[in-house]
Amino acid sequence: MASVPSPTPGGFSVTPTEPVAGGAAAQTAARPPLPVKMVIAGGFGVGKTTAVGSISEIEPLTTEAAITEVAAGVDDLSHTPRKTTTTVAMDFGCITIDPTLKLYLFGTPGQDRFGFMWDDIVEGAVGGLVIVDTRRLDDCYAAVDYFEHKQIPFAVAVNAFDGKVEHELDEVRWALDVAEHVPLVVFDARERGSVRDALLVVLELALARSEG
Amino acid sequence: MADGRTPNGADEGGSPDRVGPAPAVRPFLVTAGRVAPTSSGRTMPVETQVVATAEGLDALDRLSFEQHDIIAACRQPQSIAEIAARLRLHLNVVRILSEDLRAAGQLTVYVPNTDATHDSSVLRRVIDGLRAIPDSRGVLRDTD
Repeated sequence: MASVPSPTPGGFSVTPTEPVAGGAAAQTAARPPLPVKMVIAGGFGVGKTTAVGSISEIEPLTTEAAITEVAAGVDDLSHTPRKTTTTVAMDFGCITIDPTLKLYLFGTPGQDRFGFMWDDIVEGAVGGLVIVDTRRLDDCYAAVDYFEHKQIPFAVAVNAFDGKVEHELDEVRWALDVAEHVPLVVFDARERGSVRDALLVVLELALARSEG
Repeated sequence: MADGRTPNGADEGGSPDRVGPAPAVRPFLVTAGRVAPTSSGRTMPVETQVVATAEGLDALDRLSFEQHDIIAACRQPQSIAEIAARLRLHLNVVRILSEDLRAAGQLTVYVPNTDATHDSSVLRRVIDGLRAIPDSRGVLRDTD
C-alpha cells in the first residue's frame, strides 16, 4: 500500500505514504477538488492570457514549463527532425465549480510554425480552444495540428479585436483547413460571457465524446 | 525564498512567450541533478493536486529552502502549477520535490484520474457551473 497508486472513488490516484483514513493526515488535509483541465492555445499576442484572465477567479499565474520543439532544420543534411527542449511561459487560471470540482485553464504557446509537443502540459485535458487572430492565421496551425493529431476535442475561436473580424468565417475555415466538425466561433477574449460561451462549445464536444 | 536566480530575459523584447532559460544551477542543486520525476513512472500532470500532511507541517521548521516553501504553500490543496508559479520554480523542480516530500510522508499527491475527469457526469457539472457564470466585462489587459 505504501507507494502504490490506488484508484479511489474521488477520481484520484492517491499515493500517500500511509493510509489517509485514520492517519495523521486526516486532520489537516482537506480533500482537494477534482481538477478538470482545458488548454487555451494560439500564437503569441492572440489573447490567450486575456481570455484566461477574463474568466479565471484568480489573476492568471505564470510558470515555466518545458516543451519539446521539433525543428525541421533546412541546413540539416540528415533531414531528421531535431528535437530540442524549450522553456516557455505558461499562463493559467482556474474556476471553482464547487468544492469538489475545479476547472483549470492552461494557456500554451504555439506560435511556431514548425511544431511543439505540449504533451507535458496537455496530457489529460478534456479539450482545447485554439484562439486565432485573422491577421496572423498561420500562427495557429501548430495548435490545430496538435489537437487533431492527438484527437483532443477542440474548437477554433476567432478573437474579434476591436469588435471586428478581418475575414469571413468561411474564409478562415478554408484557410485553416479544419474539418467541418470542428466548431468555429467568433469571440471577444476581453468579455467574460464570450469566453465562457467559447469554453462551453469545447465542453459540449468533450461531453459528446464521452457519451460516445 | 532563498535562491540564487538572476534576472533573465523574460521581460525584454523579442518573443516574451518564450522566456529566457530558467536559472539552471539552483534547480540542479535542489533536485540533486535529477531531471525527471519517477516512482510511478508517470509524469505528474500540471493540475495534480498536492496538500501538506500533518507530518509535513510538523516538520516545517526542519525543512529548508524549496521543500519548506512547498509545504508552507500547501496548507490548502494546490495544483503543482500553482506551486511553481507562486514560488517561481520550474514546473519540473516542483514535480521532483513533490515526489520527494510525498515519499517522506510530508505531502499527499493526488494525481487526477483521466477516466474521472473525462466522465460525462463530471463534464456536465463543469458545463452547468460555467453556465452559471454571469456576463461582465473583464478588465482590459495587455494581450498575452
